[in-house]
Amino acid sequence: MALNSPRTRRTAFWLLLLGLVVWDLRHSAPLNVWREPPLLAAGSGQAPSGGHCSSPK
Amino acid sequence: MKRLPLAAALAAFFFLLLWFVAVRQAALFVVGLGMGATLAGARFGFTTGWRNLVEQRDPQGVVGQLLLLGLAASLSMPLLGWFPELQAALGPPSVSLLVGAFVFGLSMQIADGCGSGTLYKAGMGVPLNMGILPLFALGSFLGSAHIHGWLALGQVQPVGLVDHFGVGPALAGTWLALLAVGLGVRWFAGWHKPWLSARWVWGAAALAVLAALNLVLAGNPWGVVYGFGLWAAKVATAVGLFDPAANPFWSQPGNTQRLAQTLLLDVTSITSIGILGGALWVAAGKPAEVHKPLSAQQWAVGLVAGLVMGYSSRLAFGCNVGAMLSGISTGSVHGWIWLPMAFAGTLVGLRVRRRFGF
Repeated sequence: MALNSPRTRRTAFWLLLLGLVVWDLRHSAPLNVWREPPLLAAGSGQAPSGGHCSSPK
Repeated sequence: MKRLPLAAALAAFFFLLLWFVAVRQAALFVVGLGMGATLAGARFGFTTGWRNLVEQRDPQGVVGQLLLLGLAASLSMPLLGWFPELQAALGPPSVSLLVGAFVFGLSMQIADGCGSGTLYKAGMGVPLNMGILPLFALGSFLGSAHIHGWLALGQVQPVGLVDHFGVGPALAGTWLALLAVGLGVRWFAGWHKPWLSARWVWGAAALAVLAALNLVLAGNPWGVVYGFGLWAAKVATAVGLFDPAANPFWSQPGNTQRLAQTLLLDVTSITSIGILGGALWVAAGKPAEVHKPLSAQQWAVGLVAGLVMGYSSRLAFGCNVGAMLSGISTGSVHGWIWLPMAFAGTLVGLRVRRRFGF
């Protein structure tokens, strides 16, 4: 498999993304499935927990 | 890659999210997969649609985008009226927005992809877009870290049409404005040109439904750019190059919390990973595309454009998805300011693009 072949580049890209996810899991607060957000934000009565690019803060 | 093992890998990631992270995140991953498959399957490119209108007077892409905006508004605005906990994509009209949208429209033509375009093309294996993605993330992070300085140049409070006028008038006004833009596009392109092709229609319909699902599940409209910035901010913080506590944006409670928790809990990150996966799945079922090799200069210009695009997307309070689609479809005035400014930037970007032989 040539180093600059499309397949190599695509594999490297996905390995990099997978590496980011694994690294992030190891360096982030532990997951607690008992405190997971509601399945549907609509009707939950809770403010959304996610960030959005339109928000200035 | 064959589709069957890829589908198995995507299903495994879905169950991992379902079991270890949150049901909502698993559902949002599926929404992202649908977005990626639609963007790639319909080749629903915002950047290409604008370019085709200007260079070939082909209105199909832009009319398809206007249809998407109208359909998404028809679904999202009533949802905002029924469920007060859902948030519109409200960005502040500001100097930052004017500058950011113009520069974003310029750079996206050189980089040949906006936020969603970069994602789905990277997922399909387009070399330049795969290279741009990390730089887009870095630019988005830098833009967010500087956003308070840009806002100090002048801003007014965000304006939401649904809050101000109610769902019916906001939706009617949005449709009328979209119709006016559509007629202007038709006049510019010439009345004899075909309006739409099937791929733009089904792409618009599918994306509108998926964007509404994103809103119902996440509580926020569909966005791309925030997640990119979060990824880079996490890395910069971990390696000691950045102190979020000393930054006005990243020290906000919500951002501090998202920096501490895994990106698998971030709604924007998970839909973006889904988009990459959905686009890869579409590409896996087709013969490998041959891309024209780029010169070293074209690579350098394209990568710099990707960095600038990331930075300016934060100044503009979103890209074609976060500001234009989500902004306009949820009644944010900033989306209506973003659109003409980004289009003006595109007119310059097309000349730069030609100058470097893309």
